[in-house]
Amino acid sequence: MFPGSFDKIQWLGITFSLIILLSVFFLVRERLLKEKYSLIWLLIGLFVLIVSLFRDLLDGFSHLIGVYYAPSAFFSLLIAGAYLLLLNMSVSISHLKAQNKALTQEVGLLRLKVEELQQEDKQSE
Amino acid sequence: MGENCLSRNIEAAEKRESAELLAVIPAFNEQGNILRVIHEIQEELPLADILVINDCSEDRTGLVARTIPGVKVIDLPCNLGIGGAMQTGFKYAMRAGYLYAVQIDGDGQHLPQEVPKLLQAIQEKRCDMVIGSRFLEVESFRTTWCRRLGIRFFDLLFRALVNLRITDSTSGFRLYNRKSLEVLSRYYSSDYPEPDAIVLLKKNGLKVCEVGVAMREREHGCSSITPIKSPYYMAKVVLTILFSCARPRR
Repeated sequence: MFPGSFDKIQWLGITFSLIILLSVFFLVRERLLKEKYSLIWLLIGLFVLIVSLFRDLLDGFSHLIGVYYAPSAFFSLLIAGAYLLLLNMSVSISHLKAQNKALTQEVGLLRLKVEELQQEDKQSE
Repeated sequence: MGENCLSRNIEAAEKRESAELLAVIPAFNEQGNILRVIHEIQEELPLADILVINDCSEDRTGLVARTIPGVKVIDLPCNLGIGGAMQTGFKYAMRAGYLYAVQIDGDGQHLPQEVPKLLQAIQEKRCDMVIGSRFLEVESFRTTWCRRLGIRFFDLLFRALVNLRITDSTSGFRLYNRKSLEVLSRYYSSDYPEPDAIVLLKKNGLKVCEVGVAMREREHGCSSITPIKSPYYMAKVVLTILFSCARPRR
């Protein structure tokens, strides 16, 4: 486990994961990303980092699930993760849409209320 | 959100003396039709209050409607579609304490002179929502075979799912009492809510019935459901209905 023993692809993976982790860190620090959503990205970054640092882990895992070509196992895992993440995003969007609808309706109702109150005001003057 | 406010407003409802019926007109780009629709309602239903929901029209629908004194207009800041717009009307009717609300589309398709039939049905049959049907005991209404097929399909679906015969499940010409308004102001699906609302009300133990009415064929504009969109429409509505059935009662 010393740097000289890393392959090119491992360096690439390490760099990539560090970019993810650092980006997430700064985004959360500047409040551009909510902590809630940062968790999943931190986990993905850590996953890529660990897999890049310890190649044997991936080989072991691919043997375990019966995949002969280790990178395939890696891609499958990442794609599965991406699907879950997208599902999570769809849930968030649905939630936002429902909130947005309720707010829009409320704004409309309040506008009418304001107009009515203004009219009452004028009449009483 | 807002449910507590709603129940508090029911008390306000009992104190109210003025109109019992609210006519809700959902309107999107209907500046050519809206005046006539409002005048017809004022003529045929002089005791009803009128609420126009201007669903963020690109034309002057909201301004035109405001020119008539006594008409309330809600301008939605974003376009919500028919479901979201009507639900705004349901919420208003609940809070302002109306006993009944009737939907009369802004395109002039629904005839206000038919509303008394709906009122009579809701009182005599003790229903919570009455649907004005084009296909029940009334001279035939011309419509495309495609829509007929769709309506026939919904008929079978409703008979299978909620054991209810509905001849015109996509009709928006409906009268609601407070019980159904309360359920629907809590949840009313966004895109094509009419068939789904039937299932929703039945699941909540409310009674839905139909009465035959005449309707006008459209003069301006065209239907929002085009042949290209209709399979998508059907798929979305069926999914919505199935999920409404699968959802536990709340």
